[in-house]
Amino acid sequence: MWLYFAKRTILAVAIIAIAVTLLFLMIMAVPGDPAVVMLGPRATLEMKEQLHQQMGLDKPLVVQIGTFFGGLLRGDLGFDVFSRRPVADIVFEQLPYTIELILVSILWAVVIAVPLGCFSAMRRNTLVDHVVGVVTVATIAIPSFVMAVYAVLIFAVSLRWLPAIGVGNGFWDGLTYLVLPAFAIGIGWVGYISRLVRASMLEILGENHVRTARSFGISEWRIVARYALPLAILPTVTILGIGVAWLLSSAVFIEVVFARPGIGALIVNAVNTRNYPVVMGVVLVSTVIIVTATTLSDLVNAFLDPRTREKL
Amino acid sequence: MNYYQDGVSRRTFLKTTSVFGGGIVAAGMPLSSAIWAAEGKVLTAASTNDISKMDPQFYTAVSEVSVMECLYSKLTRFKPGSEWGWELEAAEKLEQVDPTHIRFRLKKGIKFTGDYGELTAGDVKFSFERGIKHKSPVKDNWGSLDHVEIEDDYTGVIVLKTPFMPLFNIAFPYAVGHIVSEDAVMKATKDGGDFGMNPPSFSGPYVLAEYKPNQHLLLTRNPDWAGSKPGFDEIRVVLIGDTKTAERAYQAGDIDFTGITLDSLAKFKSNPPADTKIEEHPSLNYHWIGMNVDHPKLKDINVRKAIQWAINVPQILEAAFAGQAEVATGTIPPGLLGHRDKALVPPEGDLAKAKEFLEKAGVSELNLTIDCLNESLFSTIAQTVQAQLSQIGITVEINAQDAGSFWTLGMESEGDRWKDMQLTVMWFSNLPDPYYATSSFLQSRVGVWNWERFRSERFDELSAKGATMSDPNERAKVYQEMQDLMEESGAYRFLTHGGNPVMYRTTHTQAVTRPDGYPLYVDFKAV
Repeated sequence: MWLYFAKRTILAVAIIAIAVTLLFLMIMAVPGDPAVVMLGPRATLEMKEQLHQQMGLDKPLVVQIGTFFGGLLRGDLGFDVFSRRPVADIVFEQLPYTIELILVSILWAVVIAVPLGCFSAMRRNTLVDHVVGVVTVATIAIPSFVMAVYAVLIFAVSLRWLPAIGVGNGFWDGLTYLVLPAFAIGIGWVGYISRLVRASMLEILGENHVRTARSFGISEWRIVARYALPLAILPTVTILGIGVAWLLSSAVFIEVVFARPGIGALIVNAVNTRNYPVVMGVVLVSTVIIVTATTLSDLVNAFLDPRTREKL
Repeated sequence: MNYYQDGVSRRTFLKTTSVFGGGIVAAGMPLSSAIWAAEGKVLTAASTNDISKMDPQFYTAVSEVSVMECLYSKLTRFKPGSEWGWELEAAEKLEQVDPTHIRFRLKKGIKFTGDYGELTAGDVKFSFERGIKHKSPVKDNWGSLDHVEIEDDYTGVIVLKTPFMPLFNIAFPYAVGHIVSEDAVMKATKDGGDFGMNPPSFSGPYVLAEYKPNQHLLLTRNPDWAGSKPGFDEIRVVLIGDTKTAERAYQAGDIDFTGITLDSLAKFKSNPPADTKIEEHPSLNYHWIGMNVDHPKLKDINVRKAIQWAINVPQILEAAFAGQAEVATGTIPPGLLGHRDKALVPPEGDLAKAKEFLEKAGVSELNLTIDCLNESLFSTIAQTVQAQLSQIGITVEINAQDAGSFWTLGMESEGDRWKDMQLTVMWFSNLPDPYYATSSFLQSRVGVWNWERFRSERFDELSAKGATMSDPNERAKVYQEMQDLMEESGAYRFLTHGGNPVMYRTTHTQAVTRPDGYPLYVDFKAV
């Protein structure tokens, strides 16, 4: 297990380094001078040169990459070109909001989807199973930002039950502000996870150890909860790891629609203004989150199923 | 099957991670957020632009200036209403001694917070000169400012290198004109440079009580403020990057004042939210179709005039601005000195006349390109122009580009792409003085921001004259003639200034704005 852990960690660090280098090169390959976009039509040559110096754009690309990684090793992600604040401060200030949004979204989705998937599997090919199937597939098909807009129009604008924007103050108030965005992100995952659990469950329920359990007269719910679900949940754990990338991209839209702080809203603003140090900082942190999440899901899988450790 | 590993069961593991995950969620909640004031008159307004500077000499957007106006004093301020003009604020008197000397006398008793004492002429000198000293990106707002001479604690003389009238419209009543405390800024920054979002002291009716990036700014009353009491005890400026989101937040009752998109304007006008007033204001920005006069295909003025006359501006505004923007007559918007009542070419154009010009040029089949930003507004304008020019036999190919690529297209310093540039869908932002609406088109700006490569000795002469004239009527005539010259060159087809419509809840406030719709929060009245 420890050897597997070490291998996965080295691989994760390598992936992060490659991803960040590629991103750096992609940003530099975009045509046009970022200083021009940032300073606008009234920029003088002197002002452009000054900004080039501030951003390090006057140096060769190799030096820029070297400087970036050198700073990274010291925990320095550079400075925001506009506010002159450290990028690390800005990113880590916004990150908790995105993490809480993602965790709450996935948490409620799992809580609803896993029992729903089990229920569908137990009522296979009944009317209930078909209805659940149609509804869950529909939720997968609707993009989260469409769901978000309609959720705001119905629950915030028409009914005025919930706030339309912001994050609120304090724990309980904050929860009310999380309901709509977490609903918009999580609803698609309810469909996705429930279909996945149903499919795995059907496979497991047909296996020998389940049939043996039935022959002992153990109740169907107990069989599902005790003997089938722990195995059927494995693909879901894997998917959740990979799903962090999807959740982060959903958060970009959701944070804009709900005017929530977070790294999604931050990167939209930074890309629009060509604030490259912030773009790099956000992407670096997002990459670390995604790679960490997939690594963790692999480690959890390896922990739960020792056969997977042999595969790396 | 063995579900146990190293003494930790899978079940225990899953339980532990669930609890841990829940803990992280709880920890991420904004427990530390300031609690909004529970009492008092509170205004909640949306800012649809980010706010990243509270240092007047380094401002980046007009939305920042709307907040600065609450925090600092300045010699003069913009008058609310539909006509651009200024009135005295911290200055008791402001007089032009001669074309390069302006004497000011400050009102007594304006205090800085934090025991930084009274606002003095020394603070004015420090505030005005530091933008130039620290090479601020907006130092050109100061035009030809040389230095400020202090006569006594309350009196000083602003000395210019050359006469520069825009100082009265841009510098004094706007962003860079805000006065900061020399002692406070020196203490906070050591060198007097950019203090970003951390103002060390305030001299306006409000103080910045809290700033949360990407969330809000909270302004509370300045206890040391001796001037007239503003309408609200507290102003919450909520940062909402997307205007459509702000509209929904307004409808949900979360905010009391917001800008609205032109797309939504018709809907809100016909079916306004309850207790809401909608106001339409022309923006200072200007949009136009530019033609590169140095390109072989557009060198003949008759071809350019044919294009001018073939373009039907109201049709473009209908398609791209949801029919909610007014036709522009030039680069200077209504309400600003130098605005023309009408353009030389009528907004609808005239296809017959366009064809005549084309015949005069001896051109029968013409293929042109039009460059634009890859945003729906600009693409729609380009597509409408494409359809309109096809009616006189001109085929247009559209090149939509990313901002970084587009905004360097006509710059000689960025390569040779300007040589192939033909038609462009252009827009510039602007400041409330005609000098700024015309200075990009000087001969010295050819290949910089003058992408049409329009050259006129007379235009340059008038620009120099306009910057120094003090008689508003005479000055207006100069800028009107300059716009005539631009249009007569055939290189420009002026489209619109766009619009900045706003809406606010009349049961809560009486909003007050500048002529371009940006809020003057200090003047908002509580209802």
